[in-house]
Order: sequence, then C-alpha cells, then structure tokens
Amino acid sequence: MTQPHEPPIRPDSLSGPFTPGMRDNADDLASMPDEIARPFELADGSSPSQEFAEQWRNASYNCFSSGHKFCREVCPVMQVTRNESWTPTAFHANVVAMERGELEVADVAADYVNCTQCGACELRCPNTLFTGDFYKFRTRTVDVVKAVRAFAVESAVHQPQWKLWNERTNERTHEPVLGQTPVSQERVRDWADGLDLPVGGETVLFVDCEAAFYRTSVPRAVAQVLRLAGYEFGLMGEQWCCGGPAAEMGYVEQAKRFAQHNLDNWRSTGTKRVLVLDPHDYITFTEDYPKYFGADYDIEIVLVVELLAELIRGGRITPSVPVERTITYHDPCRLNKRKGIWKEPREILRAIPGLDFRDVDRVTQWSYCSGGGGGLPVEKPELTAAISANRLDQASALEVDTLVSACPWSERPLSKAGDDTDIDVVDIHELLAESLGITVGGSRGEIGDRRGRSR
Amino acid sequence: MTIQAERIDEVVAALRTVLRDDQILTSKADRLNRARVPAPFPVHRWAERLPDLAVLPVSTAEVAAVVRIANDLRVPVVPRDGGTGLTDGAVPLRGGILLDVKRMNQVKELDLENRTVTVGTGINMLKLNEQLGKHGLFYPDDPASYPCSLVGGRIGTSGWSLIGARYGHTRDLVLSFDHVLPTGEVIHVGDGIGHKISKSSSGYQLKHLLMGHQGTLGIATEATLKLYPKPEAELSPFWAFDNYDDAYRCVGALARAGVATFAGAVLFDEYKVAYLRRDDEAYIPQPGDVRALVCAVMYGYEDEVRPAGRRLFRIAREHGARYLGDEISEGDWAARHDRYATPLHGRTKAGQVVPMSWHCEDAAINYTNLPAVTKAWHEIVADLRRRTDVFDDWGMFAYTSADTGVDYLTEIDVGIWEQQLDDRAWELWVNAKRDIAAVALAHQGSISACHGSCREGEVDLVPDELGRGFDLMLDVKRSLDPNNIMNPGKYHLDRAYDSGIRP
Repeated sequence: MTQPHEPPIRPDSLSGPFTPGMRDNADDLASMPDEIARPFELADGSSPSQEFAEQWRNASYNCFSSGHKFCREVCPVMQVTRNESWTPTAFHANVVAMERGELEVADVAADYVNCTQCGACELRCPNTLFTGDFYKFRTRTVDVVKAVRAFAVESAVHQPQWKLWNERTNERTHEPVLGQTPVSQERVRDWADGLDLPVGGETVLFVDCEAAFYRTSVPRAVAQVLRLAGYEFGLMGEQWCCGGPAAEMGYVEQAKRFAQHNLDNWRSTGTKRVLVLDPHDYITFTEDYPKYFGADYDIEIVLVVELLAELIRGGRITPSVPVERTITYHDPCRLNKRKGIWKEPREILRAIPGLDFRDVDRVTQWSYCSGGGGGLPVEKPELTAAISANRLDQASALEVDTLVSACPWSERPLSKAGDDTDIDVVDIHELLAESLGITVGGSRGEIGDRRGRSR
Repeated sequence: MTIQAERIDEVVAALRTVLRDDQILTSKADRLNRARVPAPFPVHRWAERLPDLAVLPVSTAEVAAVVRIANDLRVPVVPRDGGTGLTDGAVPLRGGILLDVKRMNQVKELDLENRTVTVGTGINMLKLNEQLGKHGLFYPDDPASYPCSLVGGRIGTSGWSLIGARYGHTRDLVLSFDHVLPTGEVIHVGDGIGHKISKSSSGYQLKHLLMGHQGTLGIATEATLKLYPKPEAELSPFWAFDNYDDAYRCVGALARAGVATFAGAVLFDEYKVAYLRRDDEAYIPQPGDVRALVCAVMYGYEDEVRPAGRRLFRIAREHGARYLGDEISEGDWAARHDRYATPLHGRTKAGQVVPMSWHCEDAAINYTNLPAVTKAWHEIVADLRRRTDVFDDWGMFAYTSADTGVDYLTEIDVGIWEQQLDDRAWELWVNAKRDIAAVALAHQGSISACHGSCREGEVDLVPDELGRGFDLMLDVKRSLDPNNIMNPGKYHLDRAYDSGIRP
C-alpha cells in the first residue's frame, strides 16, 4: 500500500483557514514568491484571432473554467439540435481555443450562426445567478456571439444568406422581409393607410421592418390604441431599418450607418422620444445606439407595451369588449430574458375581459423561444421552424386556442407552427385593440389572415 | 490525433454506411468542444485530448453499428454523454471516434402502474422530471450537475446522488438498460433479464459490472428507471457552529438517528465557510463566530417530515447548533446545484480575483476518519499554495452516502487558475491528486465515492486499492473488449493486453 506523502507542517498563514483579501490577514500571504503564475502578455506574432480573443479572454474563461453547462438544456438551439458544438459553452470555449492558437475565426464562424441571442444561457449561468451582483459580472454570451460574428465579417468570412440579406437591406434601407417583393422608403408608411397620422414631432412611433411590411396589424393596433388614449405621436420622417439585425449578424459598419441616419432624422424633426413596439428595436435603441453615440445620445426610448400598461393603470383606456379565447402568453426573449420585462404584458392580458389566461411563469419561459431572433431564420430556417414547433407543443399541452406574443419577429414562425397544431398566434397589441372595440385592419401575415377568415 | 489522415477517410466512409452526414462531425471545433469535461484538464495540452471525429447516433442500432465498425477497423471509441463528469471518463486519450449520445433523449415508455420510465440515455434528469412532474412523480437522481448531466453518464460513472440516503444512488435507481458491448453486440442487463425487476438472484449481477466503468466496457443506450412520488414536503435546516468539532459530532448524530425521511446531511468545514465569506451576496452573511455548518435534508409527506424534523432539531440543539432560519435553509438547499463553485471566487493569496476552475477531489471515508482526512487534505493543498497562486483551497464538504451514516462522500474543492497552467503546474497537481488519494486509502477509504478514479494521479493507486480485484478487472476488460477499442488508456487497463494492442 502506498503511503501518503506527508508534507511538513509549517506554522505559516496557510496552516489554517482564511479569506484572501481581508484587511487583517497576515503579511506573509502577499509576500510568498510564486513559482509559476506570471502576468499575462500577448505573445509577439499573434494571429488576428488571438488578438481578438485577448479582448474576451476573461469573459470566456469564466465560462470555460466553470464547466457547469447549466445553460445547455435551456438553450433553444441545443434543444432541437443536441449538438454540443452549438452551445453557449462552446461559444466561449472557442474563444479560449482561439487564444491558444487552436482555432481561427474561419474555422468557427458558421457555428456561431446557431444562436438566437435570446439570453437564456446568461440568466441560467451560476456566475450570473449567484455571484454576478457582488463582482458586477454577468456572463455575456450574446455579446461574445455578436463579437465573433463581427470579427468574422471583418475577416471577410461571410454566411451566404446573411450577406445577401444585409446587401438587400443596404440597397433598400429596409430588411427584405417580403422576399422578392421589394420593400422601400415609399412603402414604409403604407401600414398606416387611412389612419391619417402626422409625421414627426416630439414623440414618434418607430415601426420595425417585419411589422411595417408584413404583420401590419400590429402597428395599426398600436397607433389606434394610442390615439384612443389621446396620446400624441407622429410617424418618423424618413425611417430606415434600425440596424439591429445587421449588428446581430456581424455587419457592424452598416448597422452604425443606419443608426446614424435614424438619429439624424429624429434630430431633424425635433424628436425627443421614440415609441418602440418591437422588442428587437428596443434592444437596438437602448443597448447598441448608446454604445455608438455615447453621451450625445439623448433620445428617450419608450416601450409601447409598458406605456399601454401604464395607460390602463391610469384609466386612460379600459378594455371592455370580451375576447373569448383561451390563451397563453409567450414571453419574447428580448423582453423577458434580456430586459426583465414580463409584468406589464401580463397586466394588459389580465385587463382584457373574456380571456381564459393559462400563464406559464417567466423563469420556466427562459427555455422557451420562437427561434426568430439573431438572424437564425435567415440562415437556418429549419432550426427556427423546429424551435417554434417546440414552443407550440408547450402551448398545446395547456389546451389553449391562442398563443399571444409581443414580438412581431416571433409571430411569423410561431404562426406557421401554430397552423400545424391549430393554435392562433396573436399579437398582444392586436388583442388589446380588439377589446377596446377597435377594428384594426392590416394584415396578420399569410397564415394569420387565412385563419382569421375561417374563424 | 492518433488515426492517420488516410485512415480517417476510411473510417468516415464506413460510418457513412450507417449514419447520415449530419451525424458525423469532423471539424476541429466539433472535436475541441468534445475533448473536455470539468475534471482537472491540462488546458495547455488541449490538442492532445482531441477525438479524430464525433458521431451523433439516434438509436441503439446506430450505436451498435458504429461500435462494430470501430472494432473492425481497430479504432478507439469514447462515449460522451453530458460531459459533466469530474473524472475524465469522457476525455479521449487516444483520439478515435467520440460517440455522443445527446440525441437519444426520448421518453420511450412511462409505466404509471409499475412506476417506471424507459428513456434514451441522452436525456437530462431535470428535463425528465419536468415531464414526470405532470404525473406527480419524480426520478430522484440528484447530482451537483443535475441541470445538465445525462442518464447515460450516470450509468457509465455509477453516479452518486445528493439525496441518495433516502432514494439510493444511480445503481439503485436504474433498473435495467440496453448496453452495446465493445464488439458491437447489444445486450440487456438488469436484475435478471427483466426490464422492470428491482431484485433478482438469477445469475451474476451484471448490472453492477456494466455501471461505473467510465466507458471502458461499452455504452448504455436505453434505460428503465425507478420512479417515486414527487415529495410533498422538503425540509432542509441549516445550522451554524462556532467550531468544526461540534459540527462534526452533530452531523454524525443526525445521520445515525435512523429517521426514515432522512435524505442526507452535509458538513461544511472551516475552510469552506472561510471560502464562502469571499462573497457575501453569493452566501448569506454570517457573524464571525460561525465557523462550520451542517445541513440535514428530509423528503416525504408533510405528516412524516414534520415529526422527523422535530427529532433532528432536538438532536442539533443538543450538539450546540444554532438554526439559521427558514429563509437561509430553504434558499440554500434550493440553490445547491448553483451556489458553491463559481470561477469568480478564485483568488490569489493576497486577494486578487482571478478566474479559476473548480476541481473537486472526492473519496469515500468512514465517519470516524473524517477529521484526520480533512486535516491531511488541507495540508496537501496548503503545500501547493505555498508554491504558487495557481491553486486555491475552496474548503471541504462531507455528505452522507447512506441512511446510516457509515461513510461520507468527502470532497475538497480546489480552485485552479487554468490560464496559468503549464507542465510544471500540471505535475504539481497530479502529484497532489495522488497524495490526496493515498490519504483516503491510508484511512481505509475508497479513492472515489462519486466521480470515478481514472484521472491522472490517483489512477496509479487503483491497483493498490482493489488488490486482486484489479486483476479481475483486467480479465473482464480483455474478455469483453478483445481489441481494446473502448475508451483506451483509462484505468491502466492497457495492462490487460500482452503487447501491441494500443489503438
């Protein structure tokens, strides 16, 4: 039997328990010479991938070192692919591998497509959950994914569909959400036909590309509810795409150019406040724009769903037409997971008479997603469809006839999956408008319109 | 990489006859991301641990076909399930085919009358329990990695459960499973041949043999599990002590009390409490005279747990315990998987925060030997820290393994600053691990209660621990895996082969 090696017992501060960094610790702790640990230095002759990884090394090491992988089963992409190369931990580990010279960005750029940037992994990370506040730390998988995608584009490594999408967006100043049917500046206010809305002013309503061109019933519902409440606002003078999707796919220069245009346009119409109905825009305007413009950025951003909850609370609108539906609510990832906004949508739904509301709590919904974000449907529509199908299975188990969302980008893939399970997918603004007696008009998309006609 | 390039083409071509292209992964990132587990890992030599390719089968038949091909071509196969193990069972040492079972995550049959569920081994316990919860049932296999580890990995490592004193450990909870042998043959093992038999005396007890082998004897693909009613009540009091000795005496008394709903008890030593003080928000702040903690857990019906709780509270009081209150007790137990090991707690001796990975060395130790092992292990880690800040002492836990308090999963948590690892640091660490294992054996313990003992360092002492039993392991290995293709290089099992068979 091997005898244990017995280290000599030395009467120093390491002979008993202590908490490093406390004021009254003994001096010898800081003065012991170190045989191995050295300050980090980037070696001469580092590759661009190594230089990139250097900026993210500690952020990624905090995940790599943890090895917990608690994020894995909440990741919507992982749930449908079960491929460990496409997990939050892999996205961090690849950065560590780049730092060590094991990978170049070209080796992994395509793997980073497989993320909806929903943020579930960041919330489920023990680093965020239990030590984040104290160390002012949050696991930043979404930022890492965006950074690697941007670095790929900068290194001329493109994903074919993303490249095309952003080229078309660049040509038309709007995302090509209608496929071959062109979208353009002349058509961006078509959704508001007949509503007679003013242009410009202190407060403008920004309508994202999907809602402006495809699910036009959403902005129509919002505009009419606000008007009913007596809330003054105008449409944007010359609205371009917010630039957020370009930033998510790595086309940062284009994203900034679009952002600059929009900011300049707001300034030219004396706009101080922008109303946002789309959670993706909300992220772009509250996270990306401040990074681009710093202290110069003085625009107040108001999320419509929060505003409407406030208007109901203040008695300025009171939904009174019963809506006979059995519903559950889909927490859009960018509201619930990225921004912690989950209360106001429920407040609105609970104010609508007639609804049988079968709610699922916001934490359980960390692992839910439509698959519609982060450019995934552009490059890998089959994964988006599988993720949406999962979401509808979850709704179906509650025996509802309607899934309510608050995000136009989720509603197209969810509607498609809903059609297969005979569940309507309705936007919360549409539902509220209906309960206020408003005839919304516009289109709920191809499937929504067809199901609406047969209802 | 161990297979020559032209042989990889041959292997891929053969695999294409049984798998779709999207089930065969050959890129470097695919391989890098299937090389590591949270066990001690020489990150500076990551490239030496890569598989040559990975496969994602979806059925027992596909797993068997892959293993047959590997056996025919004499190529190593390394099974990987959750990849969350704290030994290196899922780390390829000789390249080859990494067989990832994550796509086999379906629930195949739920038998409410016999209280069993049959699942693909790629399913995670938390996700399984989400489904079982609708029927008022649960599968009580509860490791630290509960939110991410998979049933198959629990079989391959013969896992340990935090609430095993009440419900048993993986070996007790898995009734039977389909198993692909290293030759590609598929067998069903359980108690007897039945799928849902909990106790049989027919023949050898092969189920135990084919659990805990760390992927060296084959791959479990489908398992039938024992289910329990979801507990109505959960009571998890945490008590504070001003010294380790009182806490130690208290945990022993609690475990020996023989309370039927007792699911486990945990002892936090003085180093663990000092570690937790690094971050007052991660842990609930405690007065300075709190130096050790004990937690006991009871699961069952309300009318069982209440009186049992009163009994344990009385015992704790008699041992000088101070109850920390309901909020801390409930919150801490609820956070048991998340709270205790985060890289952000890594610190140099002088107090600088550096990202460290959590490395947990475990042994099975009898109650009476806990104080001596605790002291000796801390000394080993202190000696590492005298030499470098690459290592950090995160304190020790002792968890009851059984309902009588006979032995404890005893763990020392060591922070390792992996960014600084080099060959010298790795050697220091491997030697320390060997020393840690030697202390366990010198105190009549077992090298591992939970993780397995095939990691570099302690693995050298496995023949010492098992004696003639180790030779029997070699005989079994040679007989089941004539070509040494299943996870070669682990557990010194190469010694089973005369010469030359080293894929």
